[in-house]
Amino acid sequence: GKDNEFSLYYVEVEENFEGGKEKQATRDGKRRRVRNSEVSRRASENRTTEAGIKRAEKKHDKRHKTARKEGEKHGRKQRRKNADAEEAEEESRKEKKNIKNERTKTLKLEDEKEKDVKKKRKKHANEEDDAKHGKTKHKDCQGMPLKEKKKQKQISESESKSESESQSDSDSESKDNPAGGVLGSLTPEELEKLKEAVDERKKLIATLRGKPWPMRKKLVSLRESQEFVEKYEGALGKGKGRKLYAYKVMMMKKWMKFQRDFENFKTACIPWEMKIKEIESHFGSSVASYFIFLRWMYGINMILFGLTFGLVMVPEALMGKPYGSLPRKTVPRVEEASAMNFAVLWDFGGYAKYSVLFYGYYNSQRAIGWLKFRMPLSYFLVGVGTVAYSYMVVIRTMARNANEEGGGDDTSFNFSWKTFTSWDYLIGNPETADNKFASITTSFKETIVEEQESRKDDNIHLTRFLRVLANFLVLCCLAGSGYLIYFVVRRSQKFALEGLEKYGWWERNEVNMVMSLLGMFCPMLFDVISTLENYHPRIALQWQLGRIFALFLGNLYTFIIALMDAIQLKRAEEEIVKKNMTIWQANLYNGTMPDNSTAPPITAHPADVPRGPCWETMVGQEFVRLIISDTMTTYITLLIGDFFRAVLVRFLNNCWCWDLEFGFPSYSEFDVSGNVLGLIFNQGMIWMGAFYAPCLPALNLLRLHVSMYLQCWAVMCCNVPQERVFKASGSNNFYMAMLLVILFLSTLPAIYTIVTIPPSFDCGPFSGKNRMFDVIQETLETDFPAWFGKVFSYASNPGLVLPFLLLLVLAIYYLQSTSKTYKRVNMELKKKLQTQNEENKKKNKLAALKAANELEQQRSNSASDLGESTLNGVNEESSSLDEAGHHRQAGQNGHFIHPSQSQHTQNSGPPVTATHTTTRTPASRGHTSSGHLPGHPHQPQKNSHSNKR
Amino acid sequence: MVSPAIALALLPLLLTLIIRYRYFFVLLYRAVLIRWVRDCLSGLSREERAFQYILTHATPGDSQSILDTFDQWCSKVEFISNIGPKKGKILDRLLQEHCPITVLELGTHCGYSTVRIARSLPIGARIYSVEMDERNAAVAEKIIRLAGFDEDMVELIVRPSDEVIPRLREDFGVECLDFVFMDHWKRCYLPDLHLLEDSGLLGEGSIILADNVIFPGAPNFLRHARRCGLYEVRVHRATLEYIRGIRDGMAELTFLGIK
Repeated sequence: GKDNEFSLYYVEVEENFEGGKEKQATRDGKRRRVRNSEVSRRASENRTTEAGIKRAEKKHDKRHKTARKEGEKHGRKQRRKNADAEEAEEESRKEKKNIKNERTKTLKLEDEKEKDVKKKRKKHANEEDDAKHGKTKHKDCQGMPLKEKKKQKQISESESKSESESQSDSDSESKDNPAGGVLGSLTPEELEKLKEAVDERKKLIATLRGKPWPMRKKLVSLRESQEFVEKYEGALGKGKGRKLYAYKVMMMKKWMKFQRDFENFKTACIPWEMKIKEIESHFGSSVASYFIFLRWMYGINMILFGLTFGLVMVPEALMGKPYGSLPRKTVPRVEEASAMNFAVLWDFGGYAKYSVLFYGYYNSQRAIGWLKFRMPLSYFLVGVGTVAYSYMVVIRTMARNANEEGGGDDTSFNFSWKTFTSWDYLIGNPETADNKFASITTSFKETIVEEQESRKDDNIHLTRFLRVLANFLVLCCLAGSGYLIYFVVRRSQKFALEGLEKYGWWERNEVNMVMSLLGMFCPMLFDVISTLENYHPRIALQWQLGRIFALFLGNLYTFIIALMDAIQLKRAEEEIVKKNMTIWQANLYNGTMPDNSTAPPITAHPADVPRGPCWETMVGQEFVRLIISDTMTTYITLLIGDFFRAVLVRFLNNCWCWDLEFGFPSYSEFDVSGNVLGLIFNQGMIWMGAFYAPCLPALNLLRLHVSMYLQCWAVMCCNVPQERVFKASGSNNFYMAMLLVILFLSTLPAIYTIVTIPPSFDCGPFSGKNRMFDVIQETLETDFPAWFGKVFSYASNPGLVLPFLLLLVLAIYYLQSTSKTYKRVNMELKKKLQTQNEENKKKNKLAALKAANELEQQRSNSASDLGESTLNGVNEESSSLDEAGHHRQAGQNGHFIHPSQSQHTQNSGPPVTATHTTTRTPASRGHTSSGHLPGHPHQPQKNSHSNKR
Repeated sequence: MVSPAIALALLPLLLTLIIRYRYFFVLLYRAVLIRWVRDCLSGLSREERAFQYILTHATPGDSQSILDTFDQWCSKVEFISNIGPKKGKILDRLLQEHCPITVLELGTHCGYSTVRIARSLPIGARIYSVEMDERNAAVAEKIIRLAGFDEDMVELIVRPSDEVIPRLREDFGVECLDFVFMDHWKRCYLPDLHLLEDSGLLGEGSIILADNVIFPGAPNFLRHARRCGLYEVRVHRATLEYIRGIRDGMAELTFLGIK
């Protein structure tokens, strides 16, 4: 009903419009077109595209459509036969249907061949039509096309569109029409044709990418072909099979849709994917690479956390002895009063210290609970396992990334690279795009200047000098900061010896403060210094990373050395405590039970028992504190440096005498290098300290989680995109390499302490043992059958281990050398390809040059000829040549060329025309004055032509 | 008490700030400190000193020589925020491209930009130059006359710009402004632009060129120009006059006409 109404309305408009049309027959086409668009854009489209069709064809088409319509609605057909008015309406419906179909049809797609097929089909339809319905229909139909044809004629005059295009349009349109209705009325032949058409569309969709069309045309034709295929594909097939086929197609579509949705769902399941993508679109991939790295780190920490939490902390909390049962699990009497104070807890003292969070709480009982859980063994294996797992993951990721990197650097096509690859397609923000645009432009300018300079004279000395100077300055900074930390640590040791109570907060936290401040501000200084060097930002980022790496490493190792000193102090203290312990025990026994030594020993409350300093817990505490203070510094910097700055800049800008947003303070940029290194070093500290403080992975997980949200928010809210946005394609592996180095460097001290320093005598899972790794031996002896221990002892025999290691080294060496060979071969192949390409290019150039020379010669000849002959004669000649050229061109390029425009043949005299076609294309590459690109109008020709005259 | 070590740790921050914003310190030194000292020593205003220098060093009647001398004074001796030679070239190019007949200049200051505009105008063109400060205007007039431009060419109006613009049509018989150059108070850019829009003096294709839109900057002006849809905006990026390291730009607004 709704559709009918609409069509009626449409027809009315149409008819009015046509009436007007006929009156205006003499007017020019442009006016008409304007009017068309006023009435209905669709209608005008319809008409213009039908422009070139012949009258008879049109008639057939119409009739055929009617036939289809009638096949579609039999009842209506009967009625329609009777009344003229109804017939008119039907006519209009046809018209409307026509328009409707054309909406879906493709523009300018098919060519002559298809047209032939179409004609055949139309004929066939015609016959069918005649057979089915009376001739009256024909007459009715003829009224409309006549009108239409007139219009078409007028329009085709006004339109300078190519004939072939419009023909193809009409073809596709007429092809669409039969398929639009119910296929019941179609004969197998028609179906076949339809199938062909669908196949052709499919082919078109597949090959569309390679077609030399403008993008708009491509898009339009793609959309329309897709619609066409979608519409008619399901309807194909025969009889019963058709339904099944349609069903199949429908299911296939559903399945595809489901797959797409599922893909979307999967993307949505990747944590923070949308956030990161958004950031990437605003800030370019270098900033996004940091967040991807953060997410990756989060994943790793998740597993570390799972291991320590599931295998160490939870079993101890559930199955181990409860709090207060042992001296190591109780807060000593001296600290009891302040053990619950927030300041103490915040410092991880008091109750926090005597809990599962730290090494000292764990008991050395071999098996705990009803599960007989081997706690010390589990503790040791988890400590080793986390590190081993980290190594594995880092190395695997590195190897995978290394595969992606293409070997070899190409410096030969500098400008081509810049032209074709400098855009970051992930940018989705106009401001960033603006920045990127500006940066590309400036980089182009710089490169051009560089190229010019490098051709003139090598001014590399200045750059080298500046780079050396920058490195020298950075080294100075590093040395200065190293000395400062050393100084502070020494001072803090002095404070510690004298007793910390005498000093204030500043003195106590001096080391942390200095380290954080240096870690925060030295990178800024490096950044400023690095502007001297004038590197590409990606390389500059790597340098910056390297420098900050050195700085942080220095800080970290100073910290570790200080810690080692502290461990030595604690161990000396422990010796004293051990001695005192025996005295205390003796006193205990003497005081309470002077005579009777056989009675059950009266035990003191565990809080009163004197205990050793437990250096392991101290180390763990230090790391936890460091992590906490580091996190706090990061967040506070974020809040003050980014957020408050942004707020100030934003709101003070309204009442300030210069532009704060673009000028002096401005908004901050996201500091990729600093953040990445902060993350890496943080992870290093986790690896180092996790053995002594099982809570560290949990804390780190929390920190990463919070910083993910906080930094995402801060970046989007208060940072601006970098001035030189660049792609971070190669930096991921650089991060990984640094992570690996840090992993190695951080496991070194941990392994050193585990292997060389004996564990404390009264705390931790390894208390009472000579070394921590003795737990393995113990397990082998007691928990495994005797033969296993024997086998193990044989296997660990140096006579076996050393050859095995040798074999391993040899295998690694072999694999590495083979991979190197492959790489080299690859490089050579690449080079070969390049040289081949260059040779080809040279050859082509030579050929083009030769051809151009020839042409030039001939032209000069013809010019002298022209001078002799009369102007008239030349014109005659040229006009005749014109036509020939025109035909040739239309055939070749499928473009309509107006006679007045195709003048290329006029330039050359009669004898040249034969060679002209062959020389034209190559000549156009090198020389602007002769020849033209196939698809373009011929400005240069025009010029030369006019010059000649 | 903060320990000396912590204070030392803050040294990198200080160094960073100094190095990063060195151009701003230079600007502060040249534009404020030197000016203040010279004002105290000579008793003349900065503009008058500039005029004296030009009078003694430039060739009268030769606008190029006057401009060169001005540039020399501003880069070597003291600092005055003229448009400068580099941005001046952009201005020259625009003027040559459009050949305006009626030019409005807001903010004459010392007349540097007036001379610059006047010399590249076609014959019969007229500049209305607006300056609020009387002392500056006196200096500017002297310099303009020195460069050889008479009153037919340059009309100096000593009044605030927001008073002048609405009355341009009545008082000065201006029908249409082909070119407007803004270089007065950055805060007045936006209100004056509104006034210009309301006055109806802008025709299709009229150019409004605003200097210093990035430093010291006129963010509201730029925002309005970009958003209101009346203009086609281009920002020519350059550096601040006579100081290399500070980025600045000129906004070129082409009036598209009210639809």
